[in-house]
Amino acid sequence: MKIAVVGKGGSGKTTTSAVLARTFARHGHDTLALDCDSNPNLGISLGIGEEATEALVSVRDAVDAGEEQHATSMDDLVSRFGVDAPDGVRLAVVTAIQNPEPDCP
Amino acid sequence: MRVAFVGKGGVGKSSLSGSFARVLAEAGERVLAIDSDPMPGMAFSLGLEQSDAGLPDDAVEEYEQDGRQRFRLREGLTGTAAIEQYAQRAPGGVHFMQLGKARGPQWNNRRQHFGFQRLLDDLPGDGWSIVGDLPGGTRQPFLTWGRYARTFLVVIEPTPASLLTGRRLARLAETARAPRVVAIANKVREPGDAERVSSRTGLNVIGSVPFDPALADADRLGKAVLDTDPDGPTATAVRSLVQTLQKSEEQP
Repeated sequence: MKIAVVGKGGSGKTTTSAVLARTFARHGHDTLALDCDSNPNLGISLGIGEEATEALVSVRDAVDAGEEQHATSMDDLVSRFGVDAPDGVRLAVVTAIQNPEPDCP
Repeated sequence: MRVAFVGKGGVGKSSLSGSFARVLAEAGERVLAIDSDPMPGMAFSLGLEQSDAGLPDDAVEEYEQDGRQRFRLREGLTGTAAIEQYAQRAPGGVHFMQLGKARGPQWNNRRQHFGFQRLLDDLPGDGWSIVGDLPGGTRQPFLTWGRYARTFLVVIEPTPASLLTGRRLARLAETARAPRVVAIANKVREPGDAERVSSRTGLNVIGSVPFDPALADADRLGKAVLDTDPDGPTATAVRSLVQTLQKSEEQP
């Protein structure tokens, strides 16, 4: 099952995603929670805390910075760049805006 | 005065920015309210029923430069003229412009998108106050959509996600060398909330707006809280905020 949660800002996308992820995990599914928001806060809703969420290095940043080899597979990527959240959910942040880019709208 | 409201989705940017624009107009200023959030919101808090005050297709022309497709305002059309001609009039005489949306089943909104950017390049100067409502999150607010602002107002509620967003915006503002960036504590319930916003983001909190059920009621109705509850907690706090900013902008 692959679910994407979309909607207007502040309507509850992140909260809904977190509850869905933890519920599936509690029911025994291997669950990957992907935060695709450029302002990623899913870690907070999953329950790993504000500090840990802030410290999460996004998948793309680590690759861009050259600190990491590109992952060879999806599993590799998630195991190297993800973190564990409650109920056995695995969380990975896809992207975060860390620096302004003048020509990008 | 030129201000732009930024912050996490759902913190109250649209509600506060629309109210702020109306209060400025009440104070006798000529106000342009700019909604660059493709999701509607500001129109309601201004007291408008519809939110479709974009540039019509024929106001924007396409041209080619160095082999790249570009857009500009139609020949002879200045930013000020486009505002006079196409802005919706909200209560109090506020001029309202919204980033155009792609119409129909098409995804390409480049014409509307870049036409709006050209409008931002040529905003009216003296005699106008500009109040912007920017898209939620941290997506390039300082260099592109909000580049006209002299003061950025980061709306922050005392929740971890909103505080974290506030910190990210503060960092981005520094990197982008944005002008003055200050915070508004919104949905404040406890005496320590504003202090918490300040200490957890490093931003100077210039005003607090209390948690206000009347604002949630107005949002549900799609009405301006200034119309449904003109002397309530939100309206009072926004008036005080406008006064604070008017004073601070008078100083050199």
